[in-house]
Amino acid sequence: MTCEEFAMARLELGPSAEDLQSAAREHLRNCPHCAALHENWQTLRDDLHALGVASRELEAPSRVEMRLLQQFRIKHGTMRTRRTAAVAAWALAAAAVLVGGISWINWRDREALKAPGRHNILTVTETAPSNSTPAEALAPAAMELGDVVVAANSGDFALLPGVIPPSLEDATVVHVQMQRSALTVLGLTVNEEHGADWIQVDLLVGDDGVPQAVRLPQSMD
Amino acid sequence: MQIDLQERDDVLLRRSAKGDEEAFAEIYRRYQAPLYRFALRMTGSPWAAEEVVQDIFMTLVREPKKYDPQRGALGAFLYGIARNRVMKRLERAPRELPLENTDGTCRANSFATDPMTPAHWAELRERREQVRSAVLELPIEFREAIVLCELEEMSYEEAAHALGCPVGTIRSRLHRGRALLLAKLEMLREVPKRANAGH
Repeated sequence: MTCEEFAMARLELGPSAEDLQSAAREHLRNCPHCAALHENWQTLRDDLHALGVASRELEAPSRVEMRLLQQFRIKHGTMRTRRTAAVAAWALAAAAVLVGGISWINWRDREALKAPGRHNILTVTETAPSNSTPAEALAPAAMELGDVVVAANSGDFALLPGVIPPSLEDATVVHVQMQRSALTVLGLTVNEEHGADWIQVDLLVGDDGVPQAVRLPQSMD
Repeated sequence: MQIDLQERDDVLLRRSAKGDEEAFAEIYRRYQAPLYRFALRMTGSPWAAEEVVQDIFMTLVREPKKYDPQRGALGAFLYGIARNRVMKRLERAPRELPLENTDGTCRANSFATDPMTPAHWAELRERREQVRSAVLELPIEFREAIVLCELEEMSYEEAAHALGCPVGTIRSRLHRGRALLLAKLEMLREVPKRANAGH
């Protein structure tokens, strides 16, 4: 082994490098220069080891951990607060939309009640044969409408002859298309010349399905 | 919440990212000491080392997703941050030598437990100081290798992992670092001899 080889090998000596170790030992015996170097190197190793051992137990002061945990709490506390605030904001917005919607629906219903027959009139295109009785002609239509309740005032309606003023609570306004001549069966006078014309009338039908009052189109008045 | 001693770092880090303080504290306790020693031996300043450790773990608090378990162990990732912080600090203040003994080796009770004479103890201490100074004067890349492999007694593989370089690089840096260290220390030791020879 040459001095250069020894210089390269001495730093890598370990239990596995048996051949290298014996060659290095042989070189050390024969080369005083390398022997001196090796001795220095051993001293350095010892010094480094001593330095390492002396400071092996060193660790960061406890204040570092305290500061870090504080920062950790602040960061995650802020995140939690932000998340809560975001959820609260969304909940508030949703509640506002819900209240707005309900208010609007209520307002619309109130408006509907104020304007009689405006919203709850359903159009029924049912032909009423001229020879049927009012009840026969109008009852099916009223049945189809179900339980549409109208609390309308009957200001525009004309009571049919022989009808006692009805209770409006359960009355239904039915929009009906019929031949003009069919009005005669309701007890109204009709011009015979236009008896075959189709007209639309509003009937106020009681809860028994029998028409109580009629409202004619303006042109017919 | 209970922490299993063997619980994996990435699991702990995930829990920490969700706000589990115990998980974060466990990560800190696992790594703070070697990182602190590394920073202290690289900078020579306990204040700097303290700041470096704080910076490392603040990175974990602020950006836990920076660590990708698929790219390596958490320890290597933390050493990477430590290296960056140390480099920045050394660039800013290349020589920040502490006034007092910083590694905790100078303790009052050392005299009480040490069977050596005060003169011998003082000599040892002086030699240790020389070695510490010599290590601090090494170029950074050699210093890192010496600190990890000689002082922290890491294997070449562990050091290579921590420094993010091949094992061969660690070997050569260590070789060169030892040679430089030897030269520095021999020079230092020669001075008193020469001084004595002059009288």
